[in-house]
This record gives sequence, C-alpha cells and structure tokens, in this order.
Amino acid sequence: MLVQVLLQLAVVVTLLTLAGIAVIVGRYRLRDTRREWASRLRAATPITVVLIVVLLGNGVARQVVPDLSWMFGWNLTWAIYDIEGQFILWLQSFETSALTAFFSFVYIYGYVFLLVFPVVAYFALSNTRPLRELLTAYTLNYVLGLVLYTLVIAYGPRNMMPELVEALMYDTYPRYQHLTRQVNRNTNVFPSLHTSLAATVGILAYQTRAVYPRWAVVAVPLAISVAISTMYLGIHWAIDVVAGIVLAYVCVELAGLLVGRWSVTERFDVGNPLSRLR
Amino acid sequence: MHRQSTTRSNGIDRRSVLAAGVAGLATATSGCIDRVESAVGQETDRLSLSITTVPADGDREAVRIARHLEEHLEAVGIDASLDMRSRSNFLEAVLIDHEFDLYVGRHPADYDPDFLYETLHSAYANESGWQNPLGFSSMPVDGHLEAQRRVDGERRRERIATLLEGLAEEKPFDPICFPEEHRVVRTDRVDGWNADHPESRHGYLGLEPSEDVDRLRVLVTDARISRNLNPLSATLREQGSTINLLYDSLATEHDGELVPWLAEDWETTTIEETEDDDAITRATVTLREDCEFHDDEPVTADDVAFTYRFLEDTALGRAEFTSPAPRYRSHVSTLEDVTVESDRELRLEFSAGFEAAERALTVPVLPEHRWREQVDARAETTETFTAMQGQWGLVTMDNVPAVGSGPFRFESRSEREHLTLERYDDHFTRREDVDLPSVEIEQLQFGIDPGSASSIERVANDGADLTASMLEAHALDTIPDEPEIDHLESPSQTFYHVGFNARIEPFSNPHARRLVAGLLDKAWLVEEVFDGHATPTATPLPEEWVPERLTWDGDDPITPFFGSDGDLDVEAARDAFEDTGYRYDDHGRLRL
Repeated sequence: MLVQVLLQLAVVVTLLTLAGIAVIVGRYRLRDTRREWASRLRAATPITVVLIVVLLGNGVARQVVPDLSWMFGWNLTWAIYDIEGQFILWLQSFETSALTAFFSFVYIYGYVFLLVFPVVAYFALSNTRPLRELLTAYTLNYVLGLVLYTLVIAYGPRNMMPELVEALMYDTYPRYQHLTRQVNRNTNVFPSLHTSLAATVGILAYQTRAVYPRWAVVAVPLAISVAISTMYLGIHWAIDVVAGIVLAYVCVELAGLLVGRWSVTERFDVGNPLSRLR
Repeated sequence: MHRQSTTRSNGIDRRSVLAAGVAGLATATSGCIDRVESAVGQETDRLSLSITTVPADGDREAVRIARHLEEHLEAVGIDASLDMRSRSNFLEAVLIDHEFDLYVGRHPADYDPDFLYETLHSAYANESGWQNPLGFSSMPVDGHLEAQRRVDGERRRERIATLLEGLAEEKPFDPICFPEEHRVVRTDRVDGWNADHPESRHGYLGLEPSEDVDRLRVLVTDARISRNLNPLSATLREQGSTINLLYDSLATEHDGELVPWLAEDWETTTIEETEDDDAITRATVTLREDCEFHDDEPVTADDVAFTYRFLEDTALGRAEFTSPAPRYRSHVSTLEDVTVESDRELRLEFSAGFEAAERALTVPVLPEHRWREQVDARAETTETFTAMQGQWGLVTMDNVPAVGSGPFRFESRSEREHLTLERYDDHFTRREDVDLPSVEIEQLQFGIDPGSASSIERVANDGADLTASMLEAHALDTIPDEPEIDHLESPSQTFYHVGFNARIEPFSNPHARRLVAGLLDKAWLVEEVFDGHATPTATPLPEEWVPERLTWDGDDPITPFFGSDGDLDVEAARDAFEDTGYRYDDHGRLRL
C-alpha cells in the first residue's frame, strides 16, 4: 500500500515539476543551467550535505523523541483545545466532499510539489544565493521543529474530536495514513511543519518575485492552501499553524543572515546547523 | 451533531475556563499538576477534575465518551479537562503511577468473574499493576469478593449477584457497555476461519492455507505488539494476544470453559466451604510428554512451580520486600501449596472452590532457566536490590526474543512496523495423538496498521488476510460486500468504563462516584458513539451473571442518567449535587 501511494506521489510531483519547468523556469535558464551546473552544484553542496545529515538524524530522532517528550515534555492538548476548539469546528462547517478532495490533494501532492519545485527553480538561477537560502531554511525548519516537538506533546483535532472533524482525510482516504505516519507521529502537531515549510517557500517565493513572478503567483496561494488544509483536515490546530508561520519567518530570516557568512572557501567548518546559530 | 446545548452556559464560565487554559499553557499541564495548580491558584476552591484517556488514534470511542463526560462535568459547575496520553502512557498513569482523577478506558476482563477480585480487593490497593488500580477499599465488597471464591455452581452465582449489587451501589468504577468485536478476513488464501477469537490460543489453529501460501498477513492497529513481548508487562498490552501464541498455559479457555493445553489432564477434588472452614481444592496436574521450550530445553513441572512462585514475588525473595507481578495477581492468590511429584506431575492446593482456583491454570508457563538467570543478574549488579513492585526492570523489559513453549516462536520484529512469528514444529498441537486442530500456516506476520479504516481497505485490496485488532464502530460501514471477504462478529467480555481514583478527593467518597455516574447517558453513548454496536450495561459482567435488579431496562437501574437522549437536565443534576452536600458559589461553580 505504501509503495503504491509513494509511486503515485512520485508520478504526480514529477509531472507538476515538469510543467513548472516549462511554464516558470523557461528555456533560457535551462540552457544556462546546462553550462553552469557544475559550479552551482559546488556552491550548494555544503548546505545540501548538512540538510541530508539533518534529515537522516531526524529520522533516527523521531524514534526517540516521543519517549523523551512523555518524560519531560509539556502535554498541551487540552490547553490548546480549550482556547481554540471552536475555530476548527467553524472551519469544518464549510465541509463539502469537493473541498475535502481538494485539500487532501493539496496536503499530500501540493505540499511535496511546493517543497521540490523551488529547489529545481532556484538551481536554474545563476545566482545560487536563493537556492542556498532555501536549503538552509529547510534545515533550520527541521532542527527547530524537532526541538519544539520534543518540548511539546499535543494531539491534533482529529484525535480530540473524531466525530466533529468531519472531513477527516484518513477516513475518506485511509491509504494516505501509511505515508504520513512514515514522516510524523501523532503527538507531534506543535508546530505544524507542513505549514512552516510551505510558508518558508511562500516567503522566499515572494522575495524572489522579481526573478520568478509566476512562481510567486503559484507558491503563495498554494502555501496558504497547505496551511488551511492542515486545519480543515483536522490534523492541526490553528495555534500549530500560527506557530508554523512564526517558525517559517524565523527560519527565513536566519537563513538570510547565515548564507554567505560561512563560506566553505573561507572556513572549512561546515558544522552542524546548531553551531551556526550561536 | 447536537452536542453543545448543555455546556458552558454562561460567559463568565467560559472566560474563566479560557484564563485557566492560558495559565495552563505557561506551565506543564499534566492532569494532576493541573489540579494542584488550580487548588493553589486563583480558583482556590473550585472542584477541578481531569479525565485521563487515549487519543482517537488509540481508541476513538474512549475519547468521545471522555468528552461527553467532560461536557456534563462542566455543566454541573466542575472545572473539567482531558488528559490525553498514548496507550502505554495511559496505562502507566492509571495502573502504575495512579496519577489520575478519573479515566475512560476498556477493561480486558477475563473469562471468569474472579478478575474482579484482582481489580477491586483492598489488599492490592497499594500495589502497581492491574491489581486494584483504583485504590478502592470497602470491607463489604472485600467480603463478597472472598465469598464468591469459596463456593462453586449455583451458590457462587448467588454470591456474585450480591457482589454485583454491592458494586452497583458503591461504584468503584462505572461500566458503560460491552462493545461488539468485529473483524474482517480474506478467505481466498487461507480458509477454515471459525468463531475462535484471534486473541485466544485456538485462534490460529486449524486454518487451511492454500498450497502456495505460507504466511498469514495479520493487521493490528496497536504498535505496542512490536515493542514488547514481556508476559508480565502491565502497560504494553491489555489482553494476552501474542503472549498466548508464544507461551503455553496448563489449560486454556475455549467456548467458555477450560480445556487441557500444556497439561494433558488434571483432576480436582474440592471440599467446599463448611460452617467455619475455608474451601479447599486439590489438583493433580500431568503435563504432556516431551514438550520443549523454543530453545530446546524441556518443559517440566519445575517450570510450572517456578512460574507460580515467580508471579508471587518476581524478586524470588532476594529483595527486601516481595515484588508481585503487575499481572496475574489474583490468578495465583488462591494457591497455597505446590508440590512437584515428578518431571511431568505436580500437585496444587488452593484455598478456593475449583472455579476460582482453576484460573491459576491459565497463566503463561515461563522457562525457569531464563527468568531465574535474569533475576540473579539483576540482583547481583545492584548493591541494594529493591525490585520496585510493578516497575522494576524484569517486569518492564521488552523480552525480545521471547522464549516460551507455545505454538509459535519469535522470528523477527521491527518497531512500529511488524512482529513476525513462525510455527514451532515441535509443539504438541502438531502431534497426531493430540486431539487439537494443528497449526498449518508457517508464519504469522503482524503488520502495524494506522487505523481501522485503512486496515479494512488493505484486506479488501489483498494486502492482508485478517484484521486482528477489534475494528472501531465508525469504520464498519466501509467493509466491502465481496465473496472472498468474511465479516467476523463476536460479543466481547471487555467493557468500557469510567474509573474513579478512590485514593483522593472527591472520589474517595462513594456519593461523588455515583453522582458522576449519573452524568453518563450510556444508552445514548451506545447509539451515537458505537452506532449501536455495543450493549449498555450496569455491571462489569455479562448477562448470565446479572441479578434481576441490575438488568438493563433502558437506563442504569441504580444511577440513571440525569436527563434523556444525551441531553443533561442541568437543574436536576445540580440539585442532586446539592442534596449530597456540595455547594455552589455565586457563579454556579461547584466548590471543593
């Protein structure tokens, strides 16, 4: 089942990305890319390595984090529900099967496309700074997100109000749960990493709107849809989404500060992203 | 859904709840800390309760019952909140740490009513584990619990009726309903499915795999199965499940009665209680010939004797205090004496009638050579060997790979992915001369699946053969109507209930427990939450044990719901609280 879902995901995202290359990136940038790819790749290698290390580390940490959290994390489910339980219900009152289908699509396929495409698009630029900022911001999202997941235990709306959250994606499309549980545990909802990564891409797309005006037009609404989908599908609380947006903002700002400051040619210390924060 | 109507009736109430919530955000908000906090904080004297339960991923019905209760507690002026924990953490809080005000959960129960002895006897109030997690103590109930053990047959039935009446009055916990157990199976790869419960030892016997099929793909929605195989662990499982496949017991329950399993046979003589004497049951047990554990060591009468001694004190007398196992506590409590007669024969003496005594035959038989070694190793490495009851390493370790003598042996596992068992070819069920269906399937793979809906889909798409976990009521409509898919349905001995912590205020007072029981509309819960796939109840035992006075008549006969159709009659409920001596402040909040 998982393989099937993954295959489907790969096909859809590849098609979307190809379409994006045709419409957004354009022929000339591709031509330049063919000429300059080696030097661009060199520039992006250090942060790519760091990102991969962080992702691998994340995979290992996810096995341990829930147990640590139960030992000394804060269980905030009730506090969050008590403050904003009604908001999710209000959002759910707009439920239709078309909206559920749309947001389920956005949550799975739209989200992955949103994360993958800018890597390709920014790689097609002669200036590697946007690419490096993007990868740095991704890295920071995962690192800071993991810290918050360790500190906070919270179950999402679907776990608290299974009967009221009517547009449950996992009830309508149970197969997606095989995919999402590979990347997340049900106690890790604060902050919404879906939102923070989508918002990261959205903010950067806005910042690079001069270069990629069409991408900004696609990315910003898509990022907003991803944020709404997490709440509509009962996966995240509004507070998680707000925290995700704040996290995205912090990560983009930090990435802007960090990129270029630690150049590999000057310092060999690629370091881990935590030491970069000091 | 019509759920609101009765709660948070006025604005003042809502704001104070919000304020409490914000204050809660700033600090840790586990249930009990919450309670202390509100006790010393601004809301000095408002009654505040936290309901411990599992999230919808763990048990969708439980969290809905908990929210039903929370709404109604709020409506009568109590500051209520939910404390959601993972399945193992929930059991840790309730069974081990006793850190709860009240909880909603499903009790595994047992085939014999004597499980109530374990659950409620005051002698166990200070122990950790499945023994009396509620901290309940009542001399009359203790008396009834002991009395039902001393007799059999009709006399026992009468005493159990008295016990149930005592429980209905005192409400140590409030039983809500017996759910129906639903499962789906594919019949095209493996056939021969019968009514046997997959949690039982007979569950996988006699299955007929097609020629090229050697693995049965079983789905479970509980990942704990892949993390721990310790038969003594209190928190990593509710029922026996895989332990029944890995370990043998002397006898096993089948269709409501005990049948020989590892024991070839046993004979009992019972001297029932006379005027001033305890009942005595003597049993002579003969093991089957040439049985071996999965590590090729023989299973002997010494292993059985060791198991009994070990369950009574997992430290085997080496620690300062005895450390009874957090499971099977009452199974062995009637056992007075064990004599090993030979390798295959032992004599047991119980201070009980045979019905209660025979439960001792259902505990898993553990290999002495492995467990004694574990105790020794742990006792030697620490200078002060304490073996904290219910919590020390030996009863919490994962015990992977498990070595038992059961029909299946451990093959491999991957945490949160799968547990794979393979057929143990030397098991006695495979012998010609044993009158039991044999295990034909070579491998059992328990795959962890995220939920009921997705496991049904997987069976439908030929990705699995059986959903072993009980399917949740909400997913039952998605079971496809296809010829190769069978829908198995059976009643459950397990029951949903609300448990009260009798160690602390307010539930040390039986009146408080009864008042809260009156806030539950069991009939409505069965209809709305279980879609009718459950039977509401006033007692923790099925119909055959229930006396006339306690039979379900559309509402709980002792503590009827204050209201109807799920809607609480707030006035009536508040009046009842006041009549019992509780007071309200000017804002309608219930004072401590």
